[in-house]
Amino acid sequence: MAEKKKAVIVGGGTSKFGVRQATIFDMLQEAMRACSDDIPALKPTDIDGLIIATTMAGRHSSALNTAPLVVHRLGLSPTSICIRLDTLCAGSNSAIIVAKGLIESGISEVVLVTGAEKVYMPQRWETNYTQLAVNDHDWDSAMGLGVPPPFFAMIAKMHMKRYGTTKEQMAHVSVTNYTYGTDSPNAHFGGRTLTMEQALGARIIADPFGLYDCCPLSDGASAVVIASEERAKELTDRSMVYLRGTGQHATHSMSVGWPGDTLAEWPHLKKAGEVAFKNAKLTPKDIDVAETHDCFSISEVIELEELGFCKKGEGGAFVTSGAINMGGEIPTNTDGGLLVYGHPFGASGARQAIEICKQLQGRAIHQVKDANFGLTHNLSGTCAQHTVVIYGREPVE
Amino acid sequence: MADENKAEIVGTPALDGTYVAEMDIWPLECQEFNRLYPFYDNLKAGKFTTTKCKKCGHIAFPPGVICPKCWSDELEWVELPQRAKVVTLTETQAGAPLGFPSPLIMAWLTFGEDSPLKHLLGRIVNCKEGELKEGDEVQFVVFDVPSHPIEVKKETKICDRVFYAFEPMKK
Ligand SMILES: [Zn+2]
Repeated sequence: MAEKKKAVIVGGGTSKFGVRQATIFDMLQEAMRACSDDIPALKPTDIDGLIIATTMAGRHSSALNTAPLVVHRLGLSPTSICIRLDTLCAGSNSAIIVAKGLIESGISEVVLVTGAEKVYMPQRWETNYTQLAVNDHDWDSAMGLGVPPPFFAMIAKMHMKRYGTTKEQMAHVSVTNYTYGTDSPNAHFGGRTLTMEQALGARIIADPFGLYDCCPLSDGASAVVIASEERAKELTDRSMVYLRGTGQHATHSMSVGWPGDTLAEWPHLKKAGEVAFKNAKLTPKDIDVAETHDCFSISEVIELEELGFCKKGEGGAFVTSGAINMGGEIPTNTDGGLLVYGHPFGASGARQAIEICKQLQGRAIHQVKDANFGLTHNLSGTCAQHTVVIYGREPVE
Repeated sequence: MADENKAEIVGTPALDGTYVAEMDIWPLECQEFNRLYPFYDNLKAGKFTTTKCKKCGHIAFPPGVICPKCWSDELEWVELPQRAKVVTLTETQAGAPLGFPSPLIMAWLTFGEDSPLKHLLGRIVNCKEGELKEGDEVQFVVFDVPSHPIEVKKETKICDRVFYAFEPMKK
């Protein structure tokens, strides 16, 4: 049997995220342009596989069979794979897992993983209304479960009650992520800053969340190139960043199937992390930089716990200790994360991957010194599913 | 005249007078479209039900056509408890999806150790903002939701629908 090939991330780019005066295809072209700037040697003919991750494209952009539409606009002619994939907020991170498998098996050599959403419509009601279709429609959505803040507000209340987590600790996550994301030119809130006073004094969205505890919904697109080590070396002179391990775990689709003792425990994330660490032959202590799914400030707190970066229940104290800041134990969301860079569902996983790629190649805006191993994480579907990918400057032996 | 036309909100002309199931917040509950129609018929009779597996005894929620534990299709309808306790709750003052009034109150409910249904995220109706507290008891309640048409040959049949939520226990 032929030796398994090694999959690497070559580079990538995003469109400007935000409330955009643009179609989904405009933004995909912008992301391709940014990806091309990041990998100057890359030509359309180098790419033999395309995965487009999107949730809203069927409804908001009337583009149900999305992949051929993307192929045409990006000038591609894939021969190994050409698919659309949807796992909501984890779309392009899921696509990276698929690309890794395709490359290691030899089916593909160079896969373009893209993610894109056009969220904002001419009338604003439509965005919240469409959210009813991304949950378990006949059961949870008919109860009114649409936009995420109420559900995550209950998660936060329970974490505060069980573990003593405070609003100040949650605000620390938002303030920290602004110190990073303010310098990301394509971020939804790039150029903006946030103080503790502003965070704690913001208008309430859903108790206990103020405005800055919640990530925005964003229009946007991202594109990354995942390739075999051999092809990657032909496309770039930069150091190789290997996809070491992945894990994806789902246990339920709706509120009745919650796997934890309470909403404050996320055992399905713990499991996804354990699978990824095992495959990567690493432990949480090895990770130098992380991109976790900070859809809400409390999410980052719980994710640091369940991924094993601190003890369960100590996430609040961990973030205020400076652990997630530059120079801390695990600088997290160093490009601003969802809270500042924004969240076009299908595009977020690839955006995280780009930041980890840059960190491990020593070229991030907020560079973690000597970063060797990085991790990305998405949750999706009202916290029904968790997706973890681990990268390293050395392949798994 | 021109200015009046400008002020008018223009809809989606091709869909004028049509029913768009894709944009419906309620389920298609009728027998013509859903094998779980007995759940909704039972709601109309004031019963909160689900399917129990005759092979392994597992009680699933939501109900199904097979048992998710052993994949048997020999199932029977059984009743679920109609009272629950509020573990935590949330009140959405603004930004509730179209079709849901504000404040939209939702609660994480627990049905007790003996219940086959442990937890449910339930909407709370007939309740004022600030009225419901953690630890309060709530009860199952059924209400009418909008009907929808189905084309049956050249005729149009109207399907009446209901849905369920929870309300505070009368003190
Ligand atoms: Zn069974």
